[in-house]
Amino acid sequence: MLSVDISKFLRADGPDKVTGSGRYSADISLTGMAHAKFLYAGVASARITTLDTAAAKAIPGVFAVLTQADVPDIRFGSVADRYLFAKDVVRFEGEVVAAVAAVDADTAQRAVDAIVFEYDALPVVNDIEAALEPDAPLVHEDWESYSARRIVMDRNIASQTILTLGDADAALADADLVIEGRYIADASHAAPIEPRGVVAQWEGDKVTIWTSSQVPFQARDGVCETLELPTNRVRIIVPHLGGGFGGKCGFHYEAHIAALARAARRPVRLVFSRREEFLAPDRRREGMIVELTTGLRSDGTIAARKARILLDYGAYSSDATFFPHMAAMHALGPYKIDNVYAESSAVYTNRQPSGSVRAPTAPQACWALETHTDELAAAVGMDPVAFRRLNGVDTGASGVSGQVFDAIGLQECITLATEDVGYGDVLPGDEAIGVAIGWWPSFPGASGAYVKLDSDGKGVIVTGAQECGTGAVMTLPYLVANELGMQPEDFELVYQDTSAAPYDVGATGSQTLLNNGIATIEASYQIASRLREIAASMLEAEADDIVLENGHAHVDGSPDTAIPIARLARRANHTGMLIGKGARIAPPDPKTSISAIGDQGVSSFAGPQFSCHAVRVKLDRDTGVARVLAVSAAHDSGTIVNPIGAAGQVEGGVLMGIGQALTERTEYDDKGRQVNPALLDYKLQTFADAPPISVQFVEVFTPDMGPHGAKAIAEAPNVATAAAISNALGKLVGLPMRELPMTSERVWRAIQAVGS
Amino acid sequence: MTESYTLTVNEVAYSIVADAQRSLLSVIRGEVGLTGTKEGCDDSECGACMVLVDGRPVNSCSYLAVQAQGRAITTIEGLASGDALHVLQRNMLEEGGVQCGFCTPGMIMSAHALLDQNPDATEEDIRLGLAGNLCRCTGYAGIMKAVVRTAREGLSTDS
Repeated sequence: MLSVDISKFLRADGPDKVTGSGRYSADISLTGMAHAKFLYAGVASARITTLDTAAAKAIPGVFAVLTQADVPDIRFGSVADRYLFAKDVVRFEGEVVAAVAAVDADTAQRAVDAIVFEYDALPVVNDIEAALEPDAPLVHEDWESYSARRIVMDRNIASQTILTLGDADAALADADLVIEGRYIADASHAAPIEPRGVVAQWEGDKVTIWTSSQVPFQARDGVCETLELPTNRVRIIVPHLGGGFGGKCGFHYEAHIAALARAARRPVRLVFSRREEFLAPDRRREGMIVELTTGLRSDGTIAARKARILLDYGAYSSDATFFPHMAAMHALGPYKIDNVYAESSAVYTNRQPSGSVRAPTAPQACWALETHTDELAAAVGMDPVAFRRLNGVDTGASGVSGQVFDAIGLQECITLATEDVGYGDVLPGDEAIGVAIGWWPSFPGASGAYVKLDSDGKGVIVTGAQECGTGAVMTLPYLVANELGMQPEDFELVYQDTSAAPYDVGATGSQTLLNNGIATIEASYQIASRLREIAASMLEAEADDIVLENGHAHVDGSPDTAIPIARLARRANHTGMLIGKGARIAPPDPKTSISAIGDQGVSSFAGPQFSCHAVRVKLDRDTGVARVLAVSAAHDSGTIVNPIGAAGQVEGGVLMGIGQALTERTEYDDKGRQVNPALLDYKLQTFADAPPISVQFVEVFTPDMGPHGAKAIAEAPNVATAAAISNALGKLVGLPMRELPMTSERVWRAIQAVGS
Repeated sequence: MTESYTLTVNEVAYSIVADAQRSLLSVIRGEVGLTGTKEGCDDSECGACMVLVDGRPVNSCSYLAVQAQGRAITTIEGLASGDALHVLQRNMLEEGGVQCGFCTPGMIMSAHALLDQNPDATEEDIRLGLAGNLCRCTGYAGIMKAVVRTAREGLSTDS
């Protein structure tokens, strides 16, 4: 473990955040800055007949009005299926049709209102099952011309994965018992508290863009691709980021604002309203239909499982091409099953595009699977926890893709969470305990960092990593200090600046500390090595015998003769720089034996994380209102490097899961428009709703993954909570829950159905 | 219609010339130039814009700036004296109550008002008293620890 004290984690960005001095994107103001507003489609499916900006441009104080005609004619996206601005047609209500920069926000809005935008309405694809009918209208008429490497597409199917292991049909035919279930999850939102902001400023032919992005390098690449610029002329800086949860992954409006600033010949700022934050970004958590068929043997073991999954993909591809594959893995689950078949399809609709939201696809698919699993246990007359112990994976076991697991802690997670919540205790009649298990991969990948030590013995970590609030980047000084025998306060951070630092994929896939931690430690090794060489020459010893601790270097066994690191640094900087550089290179993925058509690369779970959530729920049978009284969450995320930070991820992930379980739901009208794009109508969990959350870690040292044997952490806690609540409600109501979220109205209807 | 008036923010008087329709939030951020107070929804739903007006918590997005004339406005920037953090700020930091930090200023102002009114606030008082401040990161767990600790130590403790 770390020799520096991280038990009292004081995040370096903390004072800036608690005093109000911290700048977020919307807080940035530049001299002469203009204000941006967008014209949105406002209709889910239509062909544009008139788009005339002349009247808008004529308004005094309007500096620029742009449409697709004013930017390069480039289609982009993971399936290249969209343009910066709507071209010819609009495919969802939040699609950007035009952008205005004006002297103030009111003038910009008046200009937006003055744009003549006329269209012929087209049929709306608003139902993922209807979208698969042979005569269904196509969301993308030209889908066959899209470049889609390795992606299986067919009409409204935007991406499809089919997984096969063993012979599921034969095993189902031989099974003693076959149980089927169909589960429907509504769409929901990441809903970070900060609505996004973007500011762009040109200096000559270079542009600097301050933006609320979780993935600044991806944002840079998007600007370069769509505006045809080389990477070294686009600098993305992320000020403090006010949360993301996946909602600020991807490339969004950076290019629109850069193009506006170039046309307006002055800096331009865009700040979203809460309504825009709900309607426009391509990062909604997708709605899903999951159909499961499981064959059981009389001893309670699982013989086979088939899954059919439909995901509401929305109008454009965003980063979601891998979602069908990932959803299939979660619908099959962390179980020992030798015969599986899954057919999983992302379906284009005229709705806001789906995209990565914290553990994308997992909470919904886990909810469906784990609700189904309680039904399986009941069918064979087993306690649902005992059923999971029997069938859940363990060290050395082979999972649903044939991946054989190294040391893992799922079984211990089940023990800890159920004991902690008091599973088996006698409860009042209106209370029940529900239990669910979940899993989620770690994502090892390329990542870089520099560390330098100046002549006064103070250091700077220059990292490509992005801090979205989790504390992952704020943990890096602890890792560096640990290697150099110094204190975290000895290091400042330069981060979230694409022109300063080497590449990192960003605050996505819970990968920041996992990968950049490795890169930063490697950079510190190089500095430690130089310090040891210099100390060795001064102390007439071997470099290998030099110990760095407490800000000093000494020969092992002779701590009384110690040289301050600052002195070594001064000497080192006179004879060559003290600069370290580190790069994470991803290890190969674990082997699998499953066959995948439309393979999106997630059959194999590197550094797999496991969890068990156990919840105690109280139900008011007269109203259907459920209240979560207590949550016990046990996680195997490998070694825990930063206990306060890791606990914060679990606590936050669990509460987000409670919201998804009970209240968070994006509703659509029959024209494909959101009914509730406001916090009054889209209900996040409040302080008053929040139960005590007990967090326990099963620390399984995991080699070749994150620093010091760590796995990832930030998304995994969002996986199993809704499922556990579903199982508590299933016991209380006497029927499995079939729709997510399990709103009071839906629960009440289920109670009535049982009563009649 | 443009109005001229004086606003007293963190004990400093500012001469304001602004449209009478402007919210207190908009004037604090745009005219006074203090951006610690955040806009999360412009609809009194999230609490990120919470400031104190004569010691009482107010969603400044839904409060006209002209109404605040003659009143003492306190924002997050006015909480600490000198370089030291206010005890609530320090406890939020030490107890893991801060992640992305966007809700933090409003949360601290609400918690300050709560403990000012009810120095012996229980966990239940805190749950209900801070229900108007949304946090998406922490599950409120670290914030609860910080506010409970501040209640124990006293709001006017030197940190």
